[in-house]
Formats: sequence, C-alpha cells, structure tokens
Amino acid sequence: MVDLSVRVGSVDFANPVILASGACGFGRELSEYVDMSTIGGICSKGLTLLPREGNPGCRVAETASGMLNSVGLQNPGLEAFLQNELPFMTGLGTRIIVNVAGHSTNDYQKMVERLGAPGTPVDVLELNLSCPNVTEGCMTIGATADGVYNLVNAVRSLTDKPLWVKLTPNVTSISETAHAAQDAGGDAVVLINTLLGLAIDVKTRRPVLQNNTGGLSGPAIKPVALRMVQECYRLISIPIIGVGGIMNAADVIEFMLAGASAVEIGTASLLHPAACAKIIKDLTAYAEDNCLEALSSLTGELKLW
Amino acid sequence: MLKEYEAALVEKKLLGIGNVLLTFACEDIAKMAEPGQFVNVSCSLFLKRPFGICTVDPIGNTFSIGVKEVGAGTKDILTASVGDVFSILGPLGHGFSFDGVKKIIAVGGGTGIYPLYFALDKAKRKGIPAICVNGFRSWQDAFFLSECEELSEKTIFASDAGDLGVKGTVMDALKLLQPEDLTDATVFVVGPEIMMKKVSAWAHVHQLSCQVSLEKRMACGFGICLVCVCKIKSDADNMPFHHVRCCKEGPVFQASEVIW
Ligand SMILES: Cc1cc2nc3c(=O)[nH]c(=O)nc-3n(C[C@H](O)[C@H](O)[C@H](O)COP(=O)(O)OP(=O)(O)OC[C@H]3O[C@@H](n4cnc5c(N)ncnc54)[C@H](O)[C@@H]3O)c2cc1C
Ligand SMILES: Cc1cc2nc3c(=O)[nH]c(=O)nc-3n(C[C@H](O)[C@H](O)[C@H](O)COP(=O)(O)O)c2cc1C
Ligand code: FES
Repeated sequence: MVDLSVRVGSVDFANPVILASGACGFGRELSEYVDMSTIGGICSKGLTLLPREGNPGCRVAETASGMLNSVGLQNPGLEAFLQNELPFMTGLGTRIIVNVAGHSTNDYQKMVERLGAPGTPVDVLELNLSCPNVTEGCMTIGATADGVYNLVNAVRSLTDKPLWVKLTPNVTSISETAHAAQDAGGDAVVLINTLLGLAIDVKTRRPVLQNNTGGLSGPAIKPVALRMVQECYRLISIPIIGVGGIMNAADVIEFMLAGASAVEIGTASLLHPAACAKIIKDLTAYAEDNCLEALSSLTGELKLW
Repeated sequence: MLKEYEAALVEKKLLGIGNVLLTFACEDIAKMAEPGQFVNVSCSLFLKRPFGICTVDPIGNTFSIGVKEVGAGTKDILTASVGDVFSILGPLGHGFSFDGVKKIIAVGGGTGIYPLYFALDKAKRKGIPAICVNGFRSWQDAFFLSECEELSEKTIFASDAGDLGVKGTVMDALKLLQPEDLTDATVFVVGPEIMMKKVSAWAHVHQLSCQVSLEKRMACGFGICLVCVCKIKSDADNMPFHHVRCCKEGPVFQASEVIW
C-alpha cells in the first residue's frame, strides 16, 4: 500500500488533498457526495468576528477555464461557527483548518485567541490575508511584506496552534510576502488566493459582477500558482500548501514537484463535488505506477533547466 | 451518497422557436425529483447550467428539461445529439411546497412553464385542482398549450402580440379570473423577475399564499460557493435581510419572504 500521508510542520495529513476555503462551505453539502474521512483536511469558509451577508447582486462570472467570484466573505460569524458548524466539522473525521479573516489587526487577534485556544478542536488556523472582495482587511493587509509581517507577528503569540498564512498573488513579489510570513513566525504559507479580475457584459456595457471586480480561480490561474509555489520553495524554508486550478491528480503532482507539501482544491469541487475523492484515488494509482513508497517524496523534486 | 451522473440524451423535441425539450436517461433523478427542483447540466463552457425539471418518467427512468437558447452554454447544449452524454447534478434545491395546498393557480412566463408543467402534473396526480395562466410573446413562441389545458381545470393564455388568448401579459390574464377561482388558491409563479414581482403583489392584494421560483446565476448549484444568493427578509432585529442560497434553500421561496 502506498503511503499518501504528508506532514506540514507539526501536523500530519492522511493525504495531501485539502478542501480549500470558500469552496466547500463547512463540509455539510460535500459530505453528501464524499466520505469526508478519506480527505486530507477541510478548510472552513473565511470567517469574520461578526456575521457578514457579503456583496449584493451578481457574484459570479464565467471566464475561459475559470470563474470570477465576488462573494465578499459571506459567513455566519465566529460565534455561530463555533456553535453550529465546528461541531459538525469535528464529526467528519478529517483535519480541520479554519480560515480567519478580519477588518483589522484587532479582529484577527480576537479570532486567533478564540479559535486557537488549547481546547478548540481545530488543527490549523489559516490567516486569510488575501481575499480580494472586501474593502478592509484581508488583501489590503496581505498586499505588502510589512503588512503581512505585522499581522502575523501580532497574532503569533496568541496561540500554540499552527498558523498558515494564505497569501495573495496580487503583489509584485510573492517571495517577499512569503518571507515576511516566515519571519513573523508563520508555520506555512498557502499559495495562492484568487487573482483580481474583471468581466464585462458588452450588451449592458457594465461589469458582470456588481462588485465590479472579483477573484479569478480555476485552471486559468494554475500556471501562476505553480510559478509562485516554485519561486517560494527556493527562497523560504517553511512548508508550502499549493492552491490554484487543481482539477486532477496530475495537477497535484505538479504542485508537489514545484515544492508544495500539500494542496488545496477549490473550484474543482464546484464543478464536480467528488473531485477530491477522484484525485486521491488517482494519486494512489500514480504512486503505484511509479513505484513511489511515499508520495511526500515528490515535494520539491522539480529539476529546473 | 449523492452522485454526479453521466446521463445520455435520449430524446430531443423541438417545442417552439428556440425552445427544445431534452430527455435524459437517469433513474435516480427520475425517481427522486420534485416539481420546482432543478438539475445542473454540463456544457462545453467552464460551468454547468441550471434548468428546472420539466417531466419525469420514474418507470422509463428518464427526466426532461426545457431549454431556451439565450447564450453560448444553452446553444452548446442544444447542438447535442441523441446519445451524447452529459454530466448532471440533481435533483437540486427545494421545489414547490404542496403542504396544505387545496388549489393551484400556476402563473408562467417564458421558460417558467417548464417547472410549472411538472407542478401541474403532480397536482393532477394528487387530485389538486389547478388553473393555469401562461404568458408568451406571440402564438409562434407558444408551446405546451394542450398539455397545460389537459392538466388544468381552466387555462388562460396571454400574448404580447395578442394573437393567442388575451392581448397583454399574465397580469391582464389574471384579471379574467372569477372570485370563485381565487377561493383557497395557492399561487405558483415562475418567469422573468419583473413578472414574478408583479404576480406576488397581485397575490398579496388577494390574500393568496404565493410561491416564486427565483433565478440567479449559479456555479456549483449545490450550496458550497455562495455566488447565487437571494435577498430574503430577516426576523433578526439588527438585520433587514439575509442572503440565502438560491440553489439550496431555493429556488422556490414564499413570495412574502422575498425582497425584490
Ligand atoms: C433554478 C434555475 C432554473 C432554470 N430553469 C430554466 C429552464 O427550465 N429552462 C431554461 O431555458 N433556462 C432555465 N434557467 C436559465 C438558464 O440556466 C440560463 O438561461 C443559462 O444558464 C444561460 O446559459 P448561456 O451560456 O446560454 O447564457 P449566458 O451566455 O451565460 O447568458 C446569456 C444571457 O442570459 C442571462 N442569464 C444567464 N444565466 C442567467 C440566470 N441564471 N439568471 C438570469 N439571467 C441569466 C445573462 O445575463 C445573459 O444576458 C434556469 C436558471 C435557474 C437558476
Ligand atoms: C466561490 C469562492 C469563494 C472563496 N472564498 C474564500 C474564502 O472565504 N477564503 C479564502 O481564503 N479563499 C477563498 N477562496 C479562494 C480559494 O480558497 C482558492 O484559494 C482559489 O479559488 C484558488 O484555487 P482554485 O483555483 O482551486 O479554486 C474562494 C474561492 C472561490 C471560487
Ligand atoms: S451556486 Fe454555489 S451556492 Fe448556489
């Protein structure tokens, strides 16, 4: 039997396939299609201290090999999450990652203190410094190395749980923000969140999305994500979780070769609810066909020209 | 466990200009579907496309959807040939509630007639009387006329062109209903948003319970992405509304809950 397990810092995962934030809710709907205990882990929808209704109007635009979304962090808020969603997630039998978003440093601190308290059944906190669909916090913090450093630094001492820092690709140098995350005590970086984009309706001559812009996801962004994973792998020493356009097992292998220790699957689940299960099955077959003892041995094995 | 189905197109029937009834082989959907629920159907573009379920044949294990060509996705779906296989999720969402329904006034416009047809069919099987009010652009655009007549006690058609039934919209057709037609009736409306809004207001004036089927742009269709939300009245003090998923809590909502 092939060993699909991976380790990201101090946390081990049964396999490298994690459901990405915002593309799996809190696991309820996908659990009707997939045995969630077979998945490496699940990352919650981006949470804020208080409930948010998100952006008004049309929130999705289809693009070539991808989509734009402008959901705007609609979520039930921290308290309702702890009461109604976390107990459900705990019952899924998989690793639990909570995506933490906020308007201000103070918001992040309060959330990290609460979610990162020793007894909470959460394995990892993922700091969302990268949502492009809100006007405060998130991407505005993650846009600069200083912003990333200061935020991670401000929450680091508040929890013993692993802190993953989810970064935005909408920067000049991803390795600079990744470095900042590492320097401030982040346990891993998650690369990447969506790319800021625009879609126009030529009939109405207006943006398709009522938020005007949205975040691009899906296969369209995979080459960008892979390049960023590879660039950071060479320049930082903390683990990398690769995200962006993964649709199948071959995509996972690419991300691992580029330097990812684990991966997250977003848009693929929107298209095919059981995509993650199929990917895990195909990863097993790949490892067997290639006589790999441990899938994790692939991480960073890319040989550059 | 729920599944994504690989379903073959088994029949294609031209109904009216640009409207085609597509029948697929899928035992589970045929057996599980309720009126007002929808399926999300693959096409050559990135996202699937949602369509209300129009008929089911739980013995022959098929179901059908009516598709109107409006853009690249529907065009692609309509170029398919019998035997082509589609990837389909469904049945999805919450359909019409028949709880306590004694009589139905089904009001349809455009492609709204498709899910209503399924609702009328269920009503007939349950012995619930129905009145059908349908609006079309013109006689040439019209379809399902005799089918609706067969399933309803009374049928009123309206056309913008005036060459079929009443000249005007469904609002003009509703004026022709007699007071006794309204007694104990529940209104089911599916059609363009502006029409559903007007019919909801009409139902409110006549103190009739009303269910509407909302249409939002969707991605997943099963509740995980939150791109399809509708504005629904909230009873929380500090919140005038909630964003609720059209694909999961809907697409059918009580009209009285909807903020248009
Ligand atoms: C629950 C539900 C049930 C539906 N049932 C049916 C049905 O029974 N029969 C049927 O023919 N169609 C139905 N539709 C609409 C159908 O899904 C769209 O027409 C289709 O997705 C358009 O795809 P396209 O690629 O052809 O058009 P696109 O190129 O995506 O769009 C063409 C035009 O249609 C508009 N449009 C596209 N999708 C929607 C939408 N969801 N709501 C409002 N406007 C839209 C766009 O703004 C654009 O102007 C339903 C939609 C929903 C959400
Ligand atoms: C509809 C939608 C909602 C998302 N919501 C969040 C979110 O709340 N927090 C977050 O960190 N990322 C969010 N993302 C980004 C994804 O987690 C992921 O980083 C991105 O989509 C790229 O991966 P993919 O191409 O596999 O989807 C969202 C993506 C989509 C498509
Ligand atoms: S379309 Fe994804 S939640 Fe409704």
